[in-house]
Amino acid sequence: MTRTRRWGAFYQAEATLRSMRAYGGVILFASTFQPIMYILAMGLGLGVLVGAETDFSEYGADTYLMYIAPAILASTVAMTAGIEFTFPVMEGFKWRRKYYGAQASALTPQQIALGHILGVSCRFGVHALIFTAVLFAFGALSSPTAVLMMLSAILGGLAIGLPIMAYISTLRDEKGHAAIIQRFVIMPLFLFSGTFYPLTNLPQFLQIIGWISPIWHANELGRVLAFGQPTPLWLVVVHIGYLVGVVVVAWLAVRRVFIRRLGYDEWRGRIPGLKADQRRQARQDSRESAAGSHQRSEGVPPVSFRHGVGANYYSGNIRAVFMRGLSAIRNNRGIIFISGFLEPVLFLTSFGLGVSPMISGIQAEQAGMAGQDTISYAAFIAPALLAVSAMNGAVFDSTWNVFFKLKITKLYQTMMQTSLGPVDVAVGEICLALFRGAIYALGFLGVLMVAGLVTPLSAALMWITALFIALGFACIGMAATSFMKRFQQMDWMMMVLIPMFLFSATLFPIDVYPVGVQWVIQALPLWHGVELMRDIAFWSFSGLTLVHISYFLVMVAVGGALAAYRMKALFLR
Amino acid sequence: MPISTALSSSAPSDTAPAPAIHAVDLVKKYGDFTAVDGITFQVTRGESFGLLGPNGAGKSTTMRMIAAVASRTSGQMLVAGLDPEQQGPEVRARLGVIPQQDNLDEELTVRENIIMYGRYFGLPRRYLLAKADELLSFAQLEHKANSRVEDLSGGMKRRLTIARALVNEPEVLLLDEPTTGLDPQARHVLWDRLFRLKESGTTLVLTTHHMDEAEQLCDRLVVVDHGAIMAEGSPAGLIREHSTREVLELRFGMDRNTEQAKILEDLLTNTDAGSGDVGFSHVEVLPDRLLVYAEYAESAMEKIHAAGHKPITSLVRRSSLEDVFLRLTGRSLID
Repeated sequence: MTRTRRWGAFYQAEATLRSMRAYGGVILFASTFQPIMYILAMGLGLGVLVGAETDFSEYGADTYLMYIAPAILASTVAMTAGIEFTFPVMEGFKWRRKYYGAQASALTPQQIALGHILGVSCRFGVHALIFTAVLFAFGALSSPTAVLMMLSAILGGLAIGLPIMAYISTLRDEKGHAAIIQRFVIMPLFLFSGTFYPLTNLPQFLQIIGWISPIWHANELGRVLAFGQPTPLWLVVVHIGYLVGVVVVAWLAVRRVFIRRLGYDEWRGRIPGLKADQRRQARQDSRESAAGSHQRSEGVPPVSFRHGVGANYYSGNIRAVFMRGLSAIRNNRGIIFISGFLEPVLFLTSFGLGVSPMISGIQAEQAGMAGQDTISYAAFIAPALLAVSAMNGAVFDSTWNVFFKLKITKLYQTMMQTSLGPVDVAVGEICLALFRGAIYALGFLGVLMVAGLVTPLSAALMWITALFIALGFACIGMAATSFMKRFQQMDWMMMVLIPMFLFSATLFPIDVYPVGVQWVIQALPLWHGVELMRDIAFWSFSGLTLVHISYFLVMVAVGGALAAYRMKALFLR
Repeated sequence: MPISTALSSSAPSDTAPAPAIHAVDLVKKYGDFTAVDGITFQVTRGESFGLLGPNGAGKSTTMRMIAAVASRTSGQMLVAGLDPEQQGPEVRARLGVIPQQDNLDEELTVRENIIMYGRYFGLPRRYLLAKADELLSFAQLEHKANSRVEDLSGGMKRRLTIARALVNEPEVLLLDEPTTGLDPQARHVLWDRLFRLKESGTTLVLTTHHMDEAEQLCDRLVVVDHGAIMAEGSPAGLIREHSTREVLELRFGMDRNTEQAKILEDLLTNTDAGSGDVGFSHVEVLPDRLLVYAEYAESAMEKIHAAGHKPITSLVRRSSLEDVFLRLTGRSLID
């Protein structure tokens, strides 16, 4: 007993780490690959643009790359925290009830909570170590004191992760809360944390987000440690004090919730939205009692069936699948649906406002347009962000969502018990993804029009193009999902999407790279989507426009054909 | 409606209707593993047919082949006169499938679950609104119509799954272990519902490893093990054929079972001819007890006591399908 009293938290930490081992490959790969990617894309790519006009020596950094290096470390740790303190905690309380296993042992609730935090901190440590080593290897860091920025990054990760853990652990059921936190909390705190530019570049009211964000404090602390960014002592004290303060308060909250749920109380947790659900149910009940009962059914009406080619695969009832999706969206909380359109707006605000002061604009020629004009940085990235969001939405819907319905909720298994064919299900789901994408794109284009970044005519064409791009990615995504067997494989999908985004010429023109790298980028689909969007936005068409369109036509054809060929593997397994 | 099926369903009195299910030499292989190894059976319309066997015997795979969601490696199968592999959607339109695990749509309400499921069959909304009311009362879920599925208890979910499968008024209902995991009360409610369906002429095909369930629900059943059919018949017929009328269960304590079995076997075989009719058949040794198969177990017990053997506990009961299975495979059904 005394051993457990002293070392209990470490046993729980061991359990947390062991469960991470399933993802070990992905974790190590990400820790090595991420810094390289950011160095190449942001440090060198964006650095070429920024470095020509802005001097970072006043911040104590030799180059733009050195300036962002500590901040990227802190940000990636914060992103990891957003994952490790949400899903595994939900798994502990609800999905696999792992914490209740630990509760039945000699461990105390505090030890279980602390153990999870220690385990995750270990992951942060490994990540920070590899990351820092890579940065040194690329010459992005020079001072030996830079090693200390690992500590500030881990502290920052805990400062953002523990409040989230405290919140998530009060939930009895997860209904998209992790996604809401990701989009409404972590994303803004990351994008307005002065990672890629000094916070002072932003207008005053957006700087407030930075002051609240633990990521900004961790970034600034990291910069002081890594290259001695000139900072008054009081501000250093504020950074440390803020981070430590948040960690301590959040830990007390976590501890309280864990004791309530795993102690003698056996509190089962809150169900957010329960009241709203009950209200809706009561409304529906009363509406029905007012309407009276329906007539008795008189036998099942005859239903006709498709015959001929593919009658075994397609029954001509795509509509039912689509309508089911709409009902599900209606029953879910609206905020999750809305949040999809938020991401490109946040990116545009952050980079448009934050990076613009560092560069005077993009030469039209660099952006692939005719003429000698200069394009504002915001106008340059806006169409590209639309293409990126179309890709993200379509890929998420056709891979993660499809896999989830296949393996976890078994929705497709249910559908295949009926007279639906696999093609009905696949096409219905793609239609739904496009419908969702169409609404998001509409919202984003509305913002662009209000900001005067696109003309109405361009916007209309870009809206259709966004759907076209989404269709291409959805077809490929669906085909790829048919080869997936385990969830871990889905993680690799992210390993493809993030570099594709960073190397798509979204945030800077492609000509900052040497020709060889340019070829690689030009081979990837997102670049074609981005360029197609820019051609429309700036109304500057050429033969290349046709190449972009053809690229996506081929994607739709090949992806669609492969998905159709693999249809049985997808839905009838 | 295709002409061929329209004929077969509209003129059942002239010619014998196509059997509900007609399966010949079904084989299903996953790589090297043979899940189903040459199964042949036929289910007539209105019949209640059971597939009985332990976990992994190939029951669920057979069900999946009937339901047109798994392909056959070889063999023939006709469901209501149609080949599931060629006309999957049309075959499934005539089936009601109740899988082992409830796969209700958690994102929809109880009523939406039924209506949406009907939409998947291409049924019109007006019909479904009325049908949903009818099915909700059948499943005793009227008061939960607008609740989310996740708020339902296990028994309620099961009833909803069954109600949902009836939305297309299926000719054949496929039930994969319908009451596994339910408490006794919920089980009896469910059996009652299934009886009503059977009375209304629905063909039931069910798999189970619960003997009492098979005895309650099945007119006829096949015992399946290792992907092959071991025996076929009515529950009573199978018991008559493969077991004695009664069974005597004896416990002597763990380590003495095997030696006692030998002694009892000798005792009962030798004395049987002499005094009184025992109808002794054989003794089965289980890890924790002995099963003495005899037509008259009471008399067997008297003999054993008279010979001076003192079991710790003893029990006389009627033979069940469990005994049939033990006899046929040498293993018990639930490990």
